[in-house]
Amino acid sequence: MAISLLWADGENTPPVPQSFTPSGVAQRWPVGLPHAVEAAIWRGDALGSPVASTLGTGFEALDAELPGNGWPCQSLTEVLQVQPSVLEWRLLAPAMRVVVAQGKQIVVVGPPKAPHLPGLRHLGLDERQLVWVNADKPVERLWATEQLIRANAAGMLVSWLPQARQEQIRRLQVCAQSCDGPVILCRPESAAHEASAAPLRLQARLGVDWELHVHLLKRKGPPHEGELRLPSIPGGLETVLTPRLRYPSRLIAARQCRELSHAVGSPSSRQPSGRPAAAH
Amino acid sequence: MLWAALLPDSLPDDPQRRTEALDGLATWCLQFTPRVAVLEALLQCPAVVMEMEQSLRLFGGKRRLVERVREESRDLGVRQLSWAPTSLAALAVARAGLSNGFAKPLAQLLDALPLETLTQVATHQATLARLGCRTLGQVRALPRGGLSRRFDSQLLATLDQVYGLRPETYPWAQLPETFHAKLELMARVEHAPAILFGARRLVLQMAGWLMARRSGVTAFTLRWCHDAMRSKSAGDGGELTVRTAQATRDTEHLIRLLAEHLDKVELLAPVGDLELLATEVQSLEEKSFSMLPEARQSGESLALVLERIAARLGPDRVLRPVILEDHRMEWMCRWRPAPEPAPRARSCMVEVPQPTFILAKPLRLATQNNRPLYQGVLQLLAGPHRVEGGWWDRTTQSEEGERVGEGKGKGEGAPAPASPETTRHSARDYWVAVSEHAGVLWIFQMRLAKEETAWFLHGTFA
Repeated sequence: MAISLLWADGENTPPVPQSFTPSGVAQRWPVGLPHAVEAAIWRGDALGSPVASTLGTGFEALDAELPGNGWPCQSLTEVLQVQPSVLEWRLLAPAMRVVVAQGKQIVVVGPPKAPHLPGLRHLGLDERQLVWVNADKPVERLWATEQLIRANAAGMLVSWLPQARQEQIRRLQVCAQSCDGPVILCRPESAAHEASAAPLRLQARLGVDWELHVHLLKRKGPPHEGELRLPSIPGGLETVLTPRLRYPSRLIAARQCRELSHAVGSPSSRQPSGRPAAAH
Repeated sequence: MLWAALLPDSLPDDPQRRTEALDGLATWCLQFTPRVAVLEALLQCPAVVMEMEQSLRLFGGKRRLVERVREESRDLGVRQLSWAPTSLAALAVARAGLSNGFAKPLAQLLDALPLETLTQVATHQATLARLGCRTLGQVRALPRGGLSRRFDSQLLATLDQVYGLRPETYPWAQLPETFHAKLELMARVEHAPAILFGARRLVLQMAGWLMARRSGVTAFTLRWCHDAMRSKSAGDGGELTVRTAQATRDTEHLIRLLAEHLDKVELLAPVGDLELLATEVQSLEEKSFSMLPEARQSGESLALVLERIAARLGPDRVLRPVILEDHRMEWMCRWRPAPEPAPRARSCMVEVPQPTFILAKPLRLATQNNRPLYQGVLQLLAGPHRVEGGWWDRTTQSEEGERVGEGKGKGEGAPAPASPETTRHSARDYWVAVSEHAGVLWIFQMRLAKEETAWFLHGTFA
């Protein structure tokens, strides 16, 4: 679009561009707009402005891609993963730390495994500000989640809803509009194919090299392409990681290489070359 | 003066029960004002009157107070609620089926009412009718001297009181020290949740009583009596005690809690009567409103909603953690029901890395070339971290007993008391392992019998 404009300007009226002083915004807009109008216009390639407040995620790269620069409050956020209990705390803990610092409570509903508090403490959580609602059946999970959202009493609510249906999520989203804290729903990857009323949905998976790979499936704004790589080392492990352990993928690759050479080269002369490597 | 008259609906005929029902209503009224009286309890059409002029400001103005009384009194089974400047006028207006005694000037309004609306006038109705009187206004127009000579002094006194010419005196209703209220249900109830309909009225009365005493309830008991047509095995009835963590008099919360508990009750026979007792009462500190507009706390507090969730799911399902000073993973953290008060002392922090999710029971992993497998071969990263000890921790738990029994190859299920005392001793080497699919894991290697070792998955760094 910018190119066509320049071309049009150049052909018809050469003196006009000088009077306009095309720099930045003026290049895209042939007529200079008053500042108030400029501020009120939402462009298609900009991130949508959130109606509600947000809570910073603690990851700068992720904040930059989210409308409002953080987890949205007063609405649902879906985190989709291939299997549960792999990266939830690592993804959410930086935001939880802020909630805890404000003295609010964190409620988790139906996590797939028992939360282990010493580990959570490494992430900065406090035992006095964590409540675990151990609900097993899908109905119980939904009911407890809805009650907590309606009560609007928790600083942050994380709920594992592996079997929730579309209309149930919609119902929660309607309730969540009056809830002041972020509501995070952890759902399986297969839910990515269903429509969902949650305004923000992200797919998260684990990178071996102490990273989280996040793809924003749905957000207010243009579609997100590619994956964000967020550095994340689980709490307490920083102290024991040596430089060699910073890249476990290299260790795995080396091991696979050894195994491969071991398996493929067994009848031929490659076996002796593989053995010393394994011995080291 | 702002008088309200409440005419209750469908009172029992038995004098004692009738008095109790009226007293219950009066107790509820006492939350608004101390000036509450029961009128003509044993006559045809009894009523409870209260004077509320002094309470208007406390309850946020006349309109809001009237709204609130109207809303709640409907649930209490009040047939007619009327307002007037004097108590007897309110009563007369109520009996005439009107509600607003301020619509016209009082004398004008009362003059049009029939004789039956006032009991003292109605007793002379036959005579008065022969004199040609059909309304109060016509009686009042008769010469006072003649009236006082021909009829008893009550008639003239009552007329003066109705029109506000003579002061009214009442024995005020007293607030009982303890609360118990009974209710006979309209129809026999066979399902426990349907009791709630009747129980609601009792809870409202209790809330009124608590409000008048400036206290809150931490435990209340609902009793029900089976009706006479029950089978012998059913017994007389049952009771249900509902407890709350914080003293409260919030009707909606109490009713929701009661509903959750009643859902689990199975009635053995149809129920005829209900009784509600406030068993544990604590004084409640009032929160004064701020002059400045402040951040509005919408919704209920977390404790209330957790209490409600615990009432439905069970108390051991809403949990808060306690850190224990132990180095073995299983006993580092204990979960206790949320409403219990938190322990004071904060225990010290463990410095070694710890996973964020743990498995309830370690999962034994398969191995390949002495490498543990869990969704692929695991890459060991850091370790070993030796955790050993626990010989001091003696237990005779059946779970441990089973494990010991399995180890010795004796499968016959020994009952828990018979299982030998054992210790929760463990000797494990913990490792941090990483898998491309399952994430960062916390696994341990343990020595088994016969020089064998095994790998177990115990937690994930999620």
